[in-house]
Amino acid sequence: MFFKLISRGSKRNRKENGLFFSSLLVSILAFYMILSLSHQDVMIFLTRMECNAVDKLLTLIPVLYGVTLFLLFFLIYYASRYQLERRRHEFGVCLTLGMRRSRLFMMLLLEDLGGSILSLAVGLPAAVLLSELVSLITARLVGIGIVGHRVSFSWKAILWTAAGFLLIKLAAFLILSSRISRQEIGSLLAEKPDGTRKQMPSSLYAAAILSGILCLAAAYTLAVQGKAWSGIRQMGTAVTFGLLGTFLFFWGLRFPMELVLKTGKKNRKLRVFHLRQMQETVIHRSNTLATCSLLILAAMCCFGAGMSIFRYYGENEPHVLDYTFTGAQDAESAGKTLAEYHLDTGFSDLFEVKTGNIRTTDDYEHAFQMEPVMSALRGLPSSTDTEVLLNNLGYATYPHLISLDGYNRLLSAADLPELTLHTGEAAVYMDRSFTTFERINILNRILESEPEVILDQEKIHLTGTVQTTGLVTDRAITLSFALIVPDEVFESYTQGKYDVYLNGILAEDVKKQASLMSVILDLNQRLDQTGLSYESYLQNMGRQLFYMVAASYITLYLAVIFLIIANTVIGVQFLMSQQKSGFRYRTLIRLGASYDTLCSSARKQIDWYFGIPAAVAVCSSLFGVRSLLAGILPSSARSSLSEMMVISAAMILGLCMIEYIYITAVKRSSDRYLLTLMVPVREE
Amino acid sequence: MEPVLKIESLKKYYGKSKSQTKALDGITFQVMPGEFLGIMGSSGSGKSTLLNCIATVIQPTGGSILMNGRPIQTLKGAALADYRGKEIGYLFQNFELLDNLTGRENILLPLSLHKVAEKEGRKRLEQLTSYLEIQDVLQKFPAQMSGGQKQRVAAARALILNPGIVLADEPTGALDSKNAKALMEKLFGLNQNENATVLMVTHDSNAASYCRRILFIQDGVIFYELRRNIPEESRQEFYTRILKVMAQLGGGSANVL
Repeated sequence: MFFKLISRGSKRNRKENGLFFSSLLVSILAFYMILSLSHQDVMIFLTRMECNAVDKLLTLIPVLYGVTLFLLFFLIYYASRYQLERRRHEFGVCLTLGMRRSRLFMMLLLEDLGGSILSLAVGLPAAVLLSELVSLITARLVGIGIVGHRVSFSWKAILWTAAGFLLIKLAAFLILSSRISRQEIGSLLAEKPDGTRKQMPSSLYAAAILSGILCLAAAYTLAVQGKAWSGIRQMGTAVTFGLLGTFLFFWGLRFPMELVLKTGKKNRKLRVFHLRQMQETVIHRSNTLATCSLLILAAMCCFGAGMSIFRYYGENEPHVLDYTFTGAQDAESAGKTLAEYHLDTGFSDLFEVKTGNIRTTDDYEHAFQMEPVMSALRGLPSSTDTEVLLNNLGYATYPHLISLDGYNRLLSAADLPELTLHTGEAAVYMDRSFTTFERINILNRILESEPEVILDQEKIHLTGTVQTTGLVTDRAITLSFALIVPDEVFESYTQGKYDVYLNGILAEDVKKQASLMSVILDLNQRLDQTGLSYESYLQNMGRQLFYMVAASYITLYLAVIFLIIANTVIGVQFLMSQQKSGFRYRTLIRLGASYDTLCSSARKQIDWYFGIPAAVAVCSSLFGVRSLLAGILPSSARSSLSEMMVISAAMILGLCMIEYIYITAVKRSSDRYLLTLMVPVREE
Repeated sequence: MEPVLKIESLKKYYGKSKSQTKALDGITFQVMPGEFLGIMGSSGSGKSTLLNCIATVIQPTGGSILMNGRPIQTLKGAALADYRGKEIGYLFQNFELLDNLTGRENILLPLSLHKVAEKEGRKRLEQLTSYLEIQDVLQKFPAQMSGGQKQRVAAARALILNPGIVLADEPTGALDSKNAKALMEKLFGLNQNENATVLMVTHDSNAASYCRRILFIQDGVIFYELRRNIPEESRQEFYTRILKVMAQLGGGSANVL
């Protein structure tokens, strides 16, 4: 009989409380995802490319696991609390019937264990599948290709997931069940809300909400102005203001709620009732709501910043070159070396790109003068873009030169139209990482008039549009401003002293044999024997990827965890308080409230209950993300800060959608609960 | 004169044929406008089932309930909610006040439920609160009120929409004798002065003595009917008669009067 009770209880828990079961599954997924990180395609790839950096990143996993353990404990705690609270009456009856507390405890423990094992049985395969999916998607997103996919399954991750999950589940259970089993039978049987709390004068609440808003405003100002990043003290001040402001704001919320109660239309269906319900939950849970709001804020900031970082590092020039051989050797000798090792057949194209300095003059300050361009810029309406261009171009007095032939080979490899330059003509080259599309467009408009500039006392015309195609595979090697000139002009200005980069593009049939990753890795091993100094697309991509993965993966992961916890806590709190005030709903039913009326009242409460912390979080996150971006992005990315803010805003909007989905789920739960109250009411 | 409530052969059976419990087994009676009718009976006699059937909380197995000539079993959706709110007023044993609403908000709750403008109910509110002597507790929450005050607030809530009939389920059950007497006097006064129709289920013979007629139910059928002879019979005399019937009820059908 005892075991029958346990199995029934366990089954009922799963059936009646989808929210609880889903929280358990989410925890398992989260644990496995973080623990199997080292088995993901992207990480395996990175380990080969940037071994040391990845090792350092992977040493962070136990820390992240610990943080996840800590955070998910709260999720499990709240979900379990809701689970046990809804069965209070049943426990009371069991104790009344003479069940010993120790036996009740044992019954709950075994029920809990049964639930945990089932969650693991469902959650672990789901986690392995999800991890595979993420591995494939990220590999595809970053362009590694899925041909070289490896299964991310890890026994170690499975074991640690199960251990971590059972640990937090047990800890939450012990705390909760000891609280339940210590309670008087009478209080278990009674279904009463938390009761009224001592009311303070409303002026105090008004003062609290006002000072909360002021504190938040101060924190926002510090964040937006970037002062928060100037030192630990300033950051501490901003964070303290933010935290204090949020808590005060939520505590003082009862003032505007009281005002709303006193004013406005009162004959709307159950308006007073749901406002009073809201007031009660806000009064009792103002700190929880504030904490949840902060968690949502943290999620939004992490998500916004993570996506922007991902975009920044992910938004690169199109993939044109596979290899660049550097050093003193010319194309001929490098080609010979490759042929010697039978490696030349792997390339469809091998060509030189030459760059060098102006050697015909020592006047670094005036070797190149482009006054017509500068005056055209000065003539444009003043904007940040024109000011930045004026400043940057002001330093371009001794530009690098690029030979036209090599650059045209590069353009044709990238399927772009080749440049035609006559003697006395030059094209402007600027690497994309130094500028933005808007600035390039401004310059292009000026270049349409083919302005006359002076290159070492010779007059030449700048023609065409600004060129941005990367010269070599290594994207860390960039030129902020250079001039592309015909080959004979290049030879004459550089006097034969220039750098040669031999670029290689892999043959299509080689690429088709296997994934690009494995082809390049194989080729690299063979190239290492030739003694040639080279840079491959993958090494370069690995470097970019590392930044991308390290920053965005972790921030996005934390964002998801924060969001899930905050929403589950809010949802569970609401459903718990709704259950505790079940007798009020029953009275309303007797007074003639229809099921629809009750549902609509509860739905309004849910909208407010989720809406208030989410709205505060959205408002704060706009400032928070801006501050984060300003603080953590490299200075070269600052130029596109506003663009990234737009991406972040879009992300935040996406998160609001997730909030909406959560709200809908809780509403459904609430509707289901209210339906149970309608029984034994006759069918309507 | 047409009856407010007409109940004919009302049946409510629980369970299947072999282990069937007949909570109500063909009850027939009428409640006339302005009547103060009491229903008495021992625990399990079916009196609460009867009240719940009238209040549409449970569906009867057979028979009919006509409220002002309209069968209530056919009511659905909005019409059913309107019936519960406007045609009947319910007075509960445990008051069932919403503890997070003030007295005033509790009384006005039916108005908001049935979309009646507060303006319309204001006069009625003043009239009821003054009659029931609860003006002082209108701004208080139930936790700050005494039991008697709570029940009077509940009575005001039940009467705010001028229902055709007030169904009172053991209204004095949770009150001490002094408060119970005060409440019954107020209900009696409403019946006398405002011609309010009241159907009260009670265990309390003292409370029942305020009724004009009492139906005694046993094992799901009407077992006995008692009428007060007004004006000759005093309330005290009627009370004595009730006690007598109660004593015989305890002895079962062998003691039929």
